[in-house]
Order: sequence, then C-alpha cells, then structure tokens
Amino acid sequence: MVLEVTAKTDKGAVIDIGKKEYWELGMDLDGDHRLGAWQIKEIIDLTLPPRNTTKERFVAELPPDTKNAEIEIKVTYFPSGPTGKPVLELHKVVKKLNFEK
Amino acid sequence: MKSFRFLLLVTFVVFPLIVFAEYNTIDDLAKAYSDESCKECHAKIYEEWKSSYHAQSVNHSAGGIRNFILVGLGKEWEKPVSKENLMRCMDCHAPYLKDASEPLIKEIAELIVASVDEKDEGKKAAAKEELAKLNVNCVICHNTKVSIEKNLKGGPKPGVFYGPSGKSTSAHGTEKSPVLSSAIFCGQCHGMYTPPDGDVIGCNTLYGSYQDTYKGNGGAETCQDCHMKKANRGHTFPGAYQLEIVKEGIGLDVQAAGIKLHPGKWIPTAVVNIGLINQAGHRIPDG
Repeated sequence: MVLEVTAKTDKGAVIDIGKKEYWELGMDLDGDHRLGAWQIKEIIDLTLPPRNTTKERFVAELPPDTKNAEIEIKVTYFPSGPTGKPVLELHKVVKKLNFEK
Repeated sequence: MKSFRFLLLVTFVVFPLIVFAEYNTIDDLAKAYSDESCKECHAKIYEEWKSSYHAQSVNHSAGGIRNFILVGLGKEWEKPVSKENLMRCMDCHAPYLKDASEPLIKEIAELIVASVDEKDEGKKAAAKEELAKLNVNCVICHNTKVSIEKNLKGGPKPGVFYGPSGKSTSAHGTEKSPVLSSAIFCGQCHGMYTPPDGDVIGCNTLYGSYQDTYKGNGGAETCQDCHMKKANRGHTFPGAYQLEIVKEGIGLDVQAAGIKLHPGKWIPTAVVNIGLINQAGHRIPDG
C-alpha cells in the first residue's frame, strides 16, 4: 500500500512532497529478504497494525512565489504487488492552501 | 421427487466421501470431492462461492506454487516433485490432493508450471481449465478442514457436512460445529502455517496479527463477521482484491495547513498531517 502526497501550485509547479510504503518484508533465517513462501520464516512488519492509527507528517517548502496550492493525498493498494493487477485507489483527498493571508 | 433428489445426493456426494481411494486423474479426484450436487439445495451459496477466490485457489496462486516447484524444489532443495512436497502448498490450496496418486501429483505440478510458463496460449488455457477443477470447495470447509479439536472430538466423519447450525436434512448427514464460526478455522490457512511435512511456512501471517494485535487491542469481531456476515457477503469471501472491503478497512484523516516559514524570507510551506486508520481485524497488507 502506498501513500503519496503531492502539491500543485498556482504557478503550475508539481512537487512530490512525500511517499510512504506499507508492506510485509519476508526474510529467511539468515536475515535475507525472500519472496518465496517456502523461504519466509520471519517478517519485518512495515504494515498498518489493526485498531491503530498510523500517523505521518510531511512539511514541504514550496516555491517562494506560491500564493495558492492544492495538496493531493492519495492512498493506493496493490494486492498483487507494485506491478500486478488490480490496483485499488482507496482514497484521494485534495486540500486547498492559501498563503496570502 | 424428494426421494429421487436424496438418492442423487447420496450417490454423488455422500458415497464418494465414504470411499477412500488414491486417484489417478483430476476428474476422478474432483468427482470424489465434487460439490456440484450442493447447488441442488444451496444454489445461492454455491453461486457466491463460485465467484470467490476459494473457487480458484490453485489458478489464482499458480505463480507462487510454480516458483516453489521450479525454484524451491528444483534448484534449492534439488528434490523431485512428490506428494509430500506439493502438499506444503496444496494442503490449503486444494486439500483433497492428499488422495491423489504420486503420478497425478506430478501431472498437476506440470500443469501448474504450464499454466504460468507455457508459450502456446491454447495449451496454457487448457492447463488452467484442468486446474480450475481443484479448489477449496464446500466439502473442504464443511468436512475436511473441520478437524480442529480432532483429538478431543474426533476427525470429520465421512459423508457428514458440518455447519454452524447443524440443521438436519434428509439429503446428507449434518452436524453442528462451532468451529466454522471461529476465526481459528480461517487461521488454519490464513496464517503462519505448518504443512504436513512439519516445516513452518510464512505464506501469510494474517491470523497472527488478528490474535495478537487486533484482539490484543480489544477487537471482538471474527473473520466471518466482516468477510461473510457484513453486507450479506456470504460465501463470496471478499478480501484484498475487492475495493469495497479494502476501503472499509482503511480510514483516512487529513489535516493540512499553509504557513510561511523563515522570518523575512516567508517561504510558503505546506504542513500535512495524515492518519491512516486500520479498521480491519488484521494488519494491512497481508494475505
């Protein structure tokens, strides 16, 4: 699962503010990353735990002439991995920011 | 009419479950464990199941099983395909292969490899069509896998279909089994798993996070509550591949503020605080 945050400024700039990936990293007993189910004995848990809120904070400086910006927050789920299908778009939220106050 | 239906069911459902044999063809094996006659009385449930990933538990996972056959067995272990080895996967993906002969196991392994690697599209499709006969069907969940507490209560009886209600019918033997309503029933395959050869396999670890994190933090629902009872999902068992249930599982809270940093320079700066709320009963992602 991937969380992406992007800013689009009123001057047309598109800025990648940040990206976080959530997944289960399988390892064998030597501590090496493995993909085969028969090889995996341990995991590094980089997933979202149940009954919990995982908090992320992004602070990004925008171009000095920015008066307004749209911040797009997108959450996408890849049940078959990053190159497989389907690709599930879970959430897309846009927040408008104004800097002219 | 009723007695004719009963005779049909006994002939095609109950009788094959009573007979133990080692099968040499996919068709014979699939017939012995056939759930075709289940739809006579349980048509809606059967159609729901047909649309589920349980109905395509071999074909849908053929890539991973193919890797085990060619890379795991072939290159790392340098062992031939055998029933003992293939049951590491098939004890969950098609448990009735426990009754397959060794030659049939080898044939099935070849079909799995062909269903992924075969260049000829016709042959590839034919392999998939054969493998589609192998799955996790009514018989597997309502008989074969009802073996939790078998030391206490005995293993599943041939010809008996176990269910949460145990409502009797003239069509087949029925027994009430609370295990079908419990999370551990699903956890037999949807968690760290010990195959018949005694190893431990990390195919997925979902049930571990259900027990230790979800229930450990006060969660009270079962797998069946969300994946079957909620929204009348029944036997479709939606999961990671269905947008609706994944959306239900992940909530999003966004707070964003625009400020100007660096006194004098006043650089426009976005501050974005995000909360990803896992509302499911297990870690996400997992299998």
